[in-house]
Amino acid sequence: MFDARLFLIGFLQALFVLLLAPFFAGLARVLRAKMHSRKGPPLFQYYYDIVKLMKRQEVRPAQATWVFRATPYMIMVSVLLIAALIPMWVLQSPFGVVGDMILVIYLFAMVRFFLAMSGFDSGSGFAQIGVARELALGVLVEPAIMLVLFIIALFAGSTNLGTMSQMIALGKVSYTSPAIWLGMAAFAVASFIETGKLPFDLAEAEQEVQEGPLTEYSGPGLALLKWGIFAKQVVVLSLFLAIFFPFGSAATLGLPGVLGAAVLFFLKLFCLYVIVAVIENSMARLTLFRAPHITWVALGIALLSFVFYLVQI
Amino acid sequence: MGAQDLLLLAVFLYVAGAVAALIFNNSGRFANCITSLSAFAASLAGIASALLVLTGSGFRLDAPGWIPFTRFTMEVDQLSAFMVLVISFLAAAVSLYSFSYLEEYSRKNPGVLGFLINLFIASMILVVTVGNGFYFLIFWEIMTLVSYFLVIYEQDREALRAGFLYFLVAHAGAVLIMLSFILFFIITGSFDFAVFRTAKLTPVLSSVLFVLAFVGFSAKAGAVPLHFWLPEAHSVAPSNVSSLLSGVMIKTAIYGIIRVCMDFLGAGGWWWGFLVLVVGIISAVLGMVYALTQHDLKRLLAFSSIENIGIILMGVGAGMLGLALNKPLLVGLGLMAGLYHLLNHATFKGLLFLGAGSVIYRAHTRNLEELGGLAKVMPVTAFIFLVGATSIAAIPPLNGFVSKWFIYQSLFTLGMSGGFADKVFMPLFAMLLAMTGALTAMCFVKAYGVTFTGPFRSEHGEKAREAPFPMLLGKAILGLGCVVFGLGAPLIAPRIMSVVASLLNTGAVPVSAALTVFPGDVGQAALSTPLIALLLIGFLVLPLLLLVLYGGAGVGSRLDPTPWACGYKYIPQMTYSSHAFAQPLQIIFRPLYLFSATLKEFGATAGAYFSTRVAYLVQVEDMWEKFIGKPLARGVQGLGRLVQLLQLGNVRLYCTYIIITLVILLAAVRF
Repeated sequence: MFDARLFLIGFLQALFVLLLAPFFAGLARVLRAKMHSRKGPPLFQYYYDIVKLMKRQEVRPAQATWVFRATPYMIMVSVLLIAALIPMWVLQSPFGVVGDMILVIYLFAMVRFFLAMSGFDSGSGFAQIGVARELALGVLVEPAIMLVLFIIALFAGSTNLGTMSQMIALGKVSYTSPAIWLGMAAFAVASFIETGKLPFDLAEAEQEVQEGPLTEYSGPGLALLKWGIFAKQVVVLSLFLAIFFPFGSAATLGLPGVLGAAVLFFLKLFCLYVIVAVIENSMARLTLFRAPHITWVALGIALLSFVFYLVQI
Repeated sequence: MGAQDLLLLAVFLYVAGAVAALIFNNSGRFANCITSLSAFAASLAGIASALLVLTGSGFRLDAPGWIPFTRFTMEVDQLSAFMVLVISFLAAAVSLYSFSYLEEYSRKNPGVLGFLINLFIASMILVVTVGNGFYFLIFWEIMTLVSYFLVIYEQDREALRAGFLYFLVAHAGAVLIMLSFILFFIITGSFDFAVFRTAKLTPVLSSVLFVLAFVGFSAKAGAVPLHFWLPEAHSVAPSNVSSLLSGVMIKTAIYGIIRVCMDFLGAGGWWWGFLVLVVGIISAVLGMVYALTQHDLKRLLAFSSIENIGIILMGVGAGMLGLALNKPLLVGLGLMAGLYHLLNHATFKGLLFLGAGSVIYRAHTRNLEELGGLAKVMPVTAFIFLVGATSIAAIPPLNGFVSKWFIYQSLFTLGMSGGFADKVFMPLFAMLLAMTGALTAMCFVKAYGVTFTGPFRSEHGEKAREAPFPMLLGKAILGLGCVVFGLGAPLIAPRIMSVVASLLNTGAVPVSAALTVFPGDVGQAALSTPLIALLLIGFLVLPLLLLVLYGGAGVGSRLDPTPWACGYKYIPQMTYSSHAFAQPLQIIFRPLYLFSATLKEFGATAGAYFSTRVAYLVQVEDMWEKFIGKPLARGVQGLGRLVQLLQLGNVRLYCTYIIITLVILLAAVRF
């Protein structure tokens, strides 16, 4: 059960997410500009930003403690671990022996937990508003994600992410079942909220609460934190793709197959980002208390998929 | 010394320490030293004894009884030893902590306090080791009474009220437990647990026994709907006592449930386990929903104990369902998950209460709105509290996550292999558990954030300084426990599994191999906390590398005196308060609260439009106390008044009562 090649793939996936996260964030920004009929920044603008921020002096509020300084690293490492757990390129979870879907959900909780801690630690009112929103959204999103993944896991007979995507890819879990489609819809809404894209851009809302928990960060800390948040968006969407669109992922660990699958996965992510950008830019920000209505809808769809699972259609 | 001698030594040391403390009541610090030293030595003996039993075999101690049906027996099997281990582990940490903490009380009868604390721990140890129903009830009652006196130790209005509520519910529960044991006695003719186990019961009778025992014990455990005493009682007691109350006392009720409902009654109806699961999930969700809105640090922690008792009950319920469905895998998995969470909760909740105690010890308030900024003045306490908060929020790879993971896996196994009803409910339960997980994270961000970070919100914080060394040491032991029980899961899970296997004579389910744990079958899922920790640290290389590659050398960092406030002058009132933080949740979960907000204007106005003084009062109440607690209290008080009619204070009348009783008894014997 200990396969060195799988572990290598896991590390490469983490590296893939790390290196491409600013690209995808930049892509979203360019697409947004195009839809506004603006020229927009260069595609690689975020790389320039990050490199520049890294060189800048860091300014911290005097009352902040080590929690504030450690958070960007905490977030980065937990996102990278999630990236290595998701079966992106092959039909197995690269770090399947390390954990399963429950671990992934709780690693997302870890990201949220430390981001919230740092927001509090900075002592800034804006950060704390953002934090309270972030956590309240978590309370609504995490159950929906858990329910959908739990149902898919019951179909697959395992909570291992690799097995789950394998069962769907091989058609063992029937792709024609309404349960899967509804589950997909619910998961799509939930992961959309999880990425913090526009109608749900409540916690790090730039125009409203000065980017919430990011308010007090500067220099290398800000660079890492932004990078971590971009990487988190990539990882959330990858999870969606890995579970519901595993087609084309390599079934064996041969080099050409994996490479092909990696390229294909990049294309899949690219398409998904375009779709997400279209949705994002055709919506206005919700007020916080409207968000629950949407998440109840997601939960409702998830429950409906659950009903279909029960009657085994 | 064998396990038996060590256990007796532990009990002796507790009792001797208790008596000695009482004798030196007037000598302040000396009494405190006696209390803490004896409790520490006794808990070490308890740990040694429990470890001997867990690695070897249990023992049975019979003392000749002077009343025929009440032989005093101690029966220490693996489960008892496990409980002794948990109690002694927390007691060891708490007694170290008490060395300094009790100084707060050195003018308020320290000997009496020491007497009560030591007796309290001893009674808990006896409750989980005794092998006879009659003595079980006696020790149970001693435990309740002693803890009652500890709850009302501060003697103020709040404490007396909390104590009364506790007294009432604990005894309502005790009556039911008593009834179930008497029923056992009537059926078997003995109070011995060994005989209880072989009792021949009809399904109806065993269901009656189950309901009596389950409701009785769950009142003491603090499961919803009989939980309303818990936050009151646990928040007013001295903090080291709260730590024991929340950390281990409510677990003795879990022990009772496992002992009676699984060990004595064996496989029962399907609905038993299901009922336990439902009570568990409701307690988990409601406990956390209420915890979030608390503005008193200790009440918040107490409400979160209700949540954790709920999670433990979920594990136990899954195990009971496994018994009913005759699925040894599920029995092992569920009960193991429950016991694992029991151990973990004792560790982190014990730690968090001790942390709250340190805050009170230095800042003299438990009101979250007045705390803040303590991480600057109490850095070590803050760090250890953060470890506890991270564990309880189930952040991997710490211990809270591991036991929750096993709970999810038992729900999953049940969903896979159970009947239709299990398939219907398990995904829903998993969803609700995920919701409690998110709520817990939110709640403990608030608990840590409002208490330790940001600016000082009152002069309480500014005057505080780091807690003394013994208090830090006690907490550090528990903090280490949080890490070790998490990372050591591959070693600990099979140990707990063998406790379960020996209790119910089912084969041990394989749960670990090398560095991973898994729920019986690696194909279903695997988890490796040591690897998670290793990888998290390993991945740290990447951001650090980037920083070295691109980071400007020698630019360093600069401190900004205050956070940015839109160009206005920054004041501490700009930060989020505990109330503001929980407000979105109060709106989302509105139906679950009795929620009242009043805006009071004092009439004095500046000009024609603005009030100069307004008061905004928000009360968030737990509706259960109103609908169950109050009627219960009224009923008991009504009954008390009825009994008072007999009690007129006239000696001749009492003599008449005695004569009437005598006549009735004689008549009963005659006919």
